[in-house]
Amino acid sequence: MSVFDGLRFRRVYSPVHNLDPRIKFIYVCAIFAAAVIFWELPPLIILFLIQIPFIILAGVKHEWLRSMRGAAFLATIIFLTNFIFSFINAGYVVAASSVEYALAMTLRFIVLVESFSVFFLTTSPDHLGLALEQTRIPYEFCFAFTTAVRFVPVLAEEAQTIMDAQKARGLELERGNFLKRIRNYIPILIPLIVSAIRRSLELAEAMESRAWGATKNRTNLYVLEMHRGDLVLMVVTIGILATAIYVRLFFGIPSLNELLGSLF
Amino acid sequence: MTIIEAKNLTYTYPGVTKPSIIDVSIKIAKGEFVLITGPSGCGKTTLCRCFNGLIPHFYQGELKGEITVAGLKVVETPIHKLATHVGLVFQNPENQLFALSVEKDVAFGLENFGVAREEMRKRVDWALKLTGMWDLRERAPHELSGGQQQRVAIASVLAMQPEVIVLDEPTSFLDPLGAKKIFEVIYELNRKLGITIVLVEHRLDLTSKYTDHIVVMDEGKVVLDGEPREILSSEEARLIGVGIPKATRLYQILQKDGKIKLGNTIPLCSNEMAFMLREVLKS
Repeated sequence: MSVFDGLRFRRVYSPVHNLDPRIKFIYVCAIFAAAVIFWELPPLIILFLIQIPFIILAGVKHEWLRSMRGAAFLATIIFLTNFIFSFINAGYVVAASSVEYALAMTLRFIVLVESFSVFFLTTSPDHLGLALEQTRIPYEFCFAFTTAVRFVPVLAEEAQTIMDAQKARGLELERGNFLKRIRNYIPILIPLIVSAIRRSLELAEAMESRAWGATKNRTNLYVLEMHRGDLVLMVVTIGILATAIYVRLFFGIPSLNELLGSLF
Repeated sequence: MTIIEAKNLTYTYPGVTKPSIIDVSIKIAKGEFVLITGPSGCGKTTLCRCFNGLIPHFYQGELKGEITVAGLKVVETPIHKLATHVGLVFQNPENQLFALSVEKDVAFGLENFGVAREEMRKRVDWALKLTGMWDLRERAPHELSGGQQQRVAIASVLAMQPEVIVLDEPTSFLDPLGAKKIFEVIYELNRKLGITIVLVEHRLDLTSKYTDHIVVMDEGKVVLDGEPREILSSEEARLIGVGIPKATRLYQILQKDGKIKLGNTIPLCSNEMAFMLREVLKS
């Protein structure tokens, strides 16, 4: 079940994991905004590099590289389409500027993926659920979210069991054309759905027995507190965003070609 | 003092014509360890659901007769109010844990009541220590074995400090060792804290030594109700298909044989039987 592997959560402790997910989310949004307002290569390279220390600090290098590899295919498509369009626009000449433009667009995409993967790789689902709760989202939604995450491994295991059982009865999943293959999965989906419904009923029973909805003012075992690290990240975030906007408004940003040209 | 009393209880699930329990009258005293047993589909689970108000509040359907738990009329009391008096532990451990960590799961009921954080912390730690799950408090449920999950489920009802804990076949998904551990934990709760235990179980080999009251059900009715030694040695219980403990069965066979003179107390577990045989061999 390699598809579900990415959804499995592990508890890791690092300075980045311990940060308040709300602040981390604001940071991601700030990087997002900064990446969108630039279309020149040099500032995007800076945005890309800024995030490397986070990844090293969080110790999620391998996971991060994997998600980058996952993004490589889309990145290539983005590069090629941008390059072809600017190639046509430039009158069928390969210009250095058009290569640079295509590179910048690709890097922008990579920066977005990078910042989101930093967020999701370093935020455990229960932390995220807690953050949702404390941003006053109705508890029902937060509960639905954490319960969904909690049951992913359970359902994955169950799907595997059903698949094995159906294969043992002679179901061939990998046979036939594309449509036929999709249809092959029906005997797996139906038992899976039926058992999920049954499970949800039992779950509802257990929730009722444990006083679900006894009061409107629910309390929480954990509480998210702002620590020094959160303040630092907040300052860094504001710094990045302010600098980005300032540079955008008051500076002409040289392209990489011009920059290299002036150097030599 | 009676803590659970059912009088002529008859219940029919919605959309079904045949009632699942018929004319059930039982009395459970405070601090008792009660064992409910009987063949599958005899209405044990239905009766358990009546104890904490899932019937009639959650399942609707038609309930006749009277049931009071801890002095509260079940029909008139909402489930969350009953939850402070009666904790229900279900068969499948997987489907009663919803949080991403053990601690958080144990806290779930208390959170629902709006208990203050310090108090909650104290009670969660207390419940985890009593069930022996303290060391695993930060694990996710799917990282635990079935027996550990079931202990978390017990801890999570225990945290609400109920007077009665009802366990509906808590060990049917577990291996023998996990089951034994569960029984030891609930026996501790019964003995040390005086919590009334109502246990639905087929494995009488492991549990009958703990009980002081057995109820046997068959086809929705209470057939036998009383002292364990008496009931387990009765011919009726065997015919219904109650899993008579091996020691008790052996005693019966030897008694019938008549060649060995055994004592008069009917043994419920192998230790008692061994003691009895040793006595015979000595003389």
